[in-house]
Amino acid sequence: MPEKKLNFSEAYKEIEEINEWFQSEEIDLDEALNKYERGMELINNCKNRLKEAENRFEEIKKKYGEEK
Amino acid sequence: MKTMKTLQTKTERVFSVSEFLDFLNNILIPQQVVIQGEIGKKIDCRPTYSIFNLLDKKDHTVLKCFCWQDKLENLGIELREGLEIQVLGHPKIYKSQYGSNFEFEAEQVLLVGEGVLKEAFDALKRKLDKEGLFSLDHKRPLPRFCQKIGLITSKYGKGAKPDFEKHLGKFGFEVYFYDVRVEGIFAVNEIVQALYWFNEHMPDLDVLVLIRGGGSWESLQAFNSEEVARAIFASKIPIMCGIGHESDITIADLVSDVRASTPTDAAKILNENWKMASINILEIEKNLSTLFKKVLENISQNLDFFEDYFKRTVKKEIFTVKTGLESLIKNLDFNFQNYFKEFDILSKGFKDNFLKIERLIKNKREETNKIQSDLQKNKDWWCQKIESFLKAERAKIVLSSPYFRLKQGYTITLDEQGKSIKNSEKLKIDQTIKTKFYKGQALSRVKKIES
Repeated sequence: MPEKKLNFSEAYKEIEEINEWFQSEEIDLDEALNKYERGMELINNCKNRLKEAENRFEEIKKKYGEEK
Repeated sequence: MKTMKTLQTKTERVFSVSEFLDFLNNILIPQQVVIQGEIGKKIDCRPTYSIFNLLDKKDHTVLKCFCWQDKLENLGIELREGLEIQVLGHPKIYKSQYGSNFEFEAEQVLLVGEGVLKEAFDALKRKLDKEGLFSLDHKRPLPRFCQKIGLITSKYGKGAKPDFEKHLGKFGFEVYFYDVRVEGIFAVNEIVQALYWFNEHMPDLDVLVLIRGGGSWESLQAFNSEEVARAIFASKIPIMCGIGHESDITIADLVSDVRASTPTDAAKILNENWKMASINILEIEKNLSTLFKKVLENISQNLDFFEDYFKRTVKKEIFTVKTGLESLIKNLDFNFQNYFKEFDILSKGFKDNFLKIERLIKNKREETNKIQSDLQKNKDWWCQKIESFLKAERAKIVLSSPYFRLKQGYTITLDEQGKSIKNSEKLKIDQTIKTKFYKGQALSRVKKIES
């Protein structure tokens, strides 16, 4: 099954939330483990997304007065 | 005889007047051109249209122009003498019973000259501001990470498009470019059309970027038009404008959701969060590892502490229980010893009492036996004594018996019922009475009674 396309914005937001969570005082080990693994997975995905990020340019051929 | 002469022309067709004017208009109307000139003295303003003269300043030639009122409203200011304008339109002959006229029908009018443009700009700005088109309440924030971009600008412009694309960081942007004219009389329609096109066909874009390179104030006029302003306001996709130089603020800039000072700045704004994220993500990665390590260390420390605490507590608890048990055993032992002692005393007491009782029983038995023996001994004595007593008593009784009296010669007199008669007064004459003797009895009749 192909991996779901990364939503960078959501992934980055989750990374920030995990980072913030780790700053809090009361930390449960099981949760910390899960969140750490999740955080690292998202970080790797985001890093890969940033690495292979060539821009794509496309010109719209439809012009004034034309219908698609 | 007069001969009918036929006019010699290339075509043999003979027009009526009206047909001829239609014929001319068919040629003239498709000739769309732009003419620049100054508005002359006579301006005939009607509710739905205006007629004015366009003057050539060099040779004072005049061209009569016709324009529908709605085309003039977009100018922002009233037509007046001396106003420099560009007119897009076509030539036409206006057919009339009072003399058909050649005129130029304006399809679009554009102001020329900085002073007048400034004036129109201020008027439009006031109008749109009043309507709330610049209000911060209507500004939509751009998505934090814009990826799909609709770019509206000219591909022929010197700076805008290359500047924007050059400064766009490699963050995987998808740029959909719509080529428009950004200057001149066609620009407004094309920009408006592009804005509508993106909203209709690509509504999921993150942002629309409307840019144009620097130029004279006049050259930026498309971005000061009411149509463009309203199209920007109506757009569902957030819009970022980067028009001209940093100091140029157009109406489009004011209506847009985000204003970039230049096309380069627009690219930089789009890059900014991506750049930050690519730096931050490395820091967060490092930070997260450190924090997680710290969590593990903390937990390890806590475990050590608890282990130590647990050991100490358990040891203490065992000691307490052990001491308690020892003390309990000691107490129990002491108490048992006491009980045993008490039991011994009780047991001894009981034994003594038992012996006493046994002795008592023995004594009592001996006593009883003695009494029994004494009783046996006394029995004979008592018998003799009772017997002699009885004898004496019997003698007494015999002496007192009536029969003993009778023997002595006394009698007893009885009535018919056998009752003894003790008083003669109770007797009656002729009453039969019985007289008992010691031996036998006699019946007699009363003859006389004496008291």
